[in-house]
Amino acid sequence: MADQANFERDAMEYAPQLYSAALRMTRNPADAEDVVQETFLKAYRAYNTFQEGTNLKAWLYRILTNTYINKYRKQQRRPSEVELGELQDLYLYRRLGEEAGATHSAETEVLEQFVDVNIIEALESLPENFRMPVLLADVEDFSYKEIAEILDIPIGTVMSRLHRGRKALQRKLWNLAQERGIAGSAP
Amino acid sequence: MTNACEHAVEYIYQYLDDEITFVHRSRIRWHLRNCNACCGAYEFETKLKAVVRERGRSEPSPELLTTLRALIEEERANSDDDVS
Repeated sequence: MADQANFERDAMEYAPQLYSAALRMTRNPADAEDVVQETFLKAYRAYNTFQEGTNLKAWLYRILTNTYINKYRKQQRRPSEVELGELQDLYLYRRLGEEAGATHSAETEVLEQFVDVNIIEALESLPENFRMPVLLADVEDFSYKEIAEILDIPIGTVMSRLHRGRKALQRKLWNLAQERGIAGSAP
Repeated sequence: MTNACEHAVEYIYQYLDDEITFVHRSRIRWHLRNCNACCGAYEFETKLKAVVRERGRSEPSPELLTTLRALIEEERANSDDDVS
């Protein structure tokens, strides 16, 4: 069991990442700070139940996720599976490929033109059920198993939400690319 | 699009996430050597994943860390009071 006296030493290095994840969840800096503060307080109080040598980062993210859900999701419990509809595999790659004259390398070069705000806007546009797995896998670099534990859902659900969430992210990036003129002239 | 292409597309995320079985991985590696179209798609998805990781993060204000430390100090002082 971990010693509460070591909490700051062990956990503080994850604070910036936890804040970033909280901001993608709440989409608002003041709320994100609240969630992180509450997470740290809960984690500190519970630190003597944390099994030393196990995955501290995942443990903290689980507290973060639960804190966010308890605080902000009470009113909207309906599942949002239906909101995405069916999307083609390799959505963005195929759309870019349909652009006249695009070669394989041109499609990859388009990605360079997306700046931070585009990526953040696309991530934050995802319905929550899909945003969480995409965020945890693609930004925070957790494994499927870790994501399943953090979100308390089966691995199969992690995989299907990740799959659909990434396609939805690509659709949003495609829309942004067209609005901002990143992908050349709109059809 | 061949069966091998369909297989490569179906398993693309598991491959890129390094969450794939040896058999599927070997089959895809073999296929990518022979298929430019799938190579292009894999290269694109790899790059996209890197771009999201690199640009999907935000930094907290420097005060956040100070606030968190103060919060824990306060909590520690409070619980020490309870004990004494």
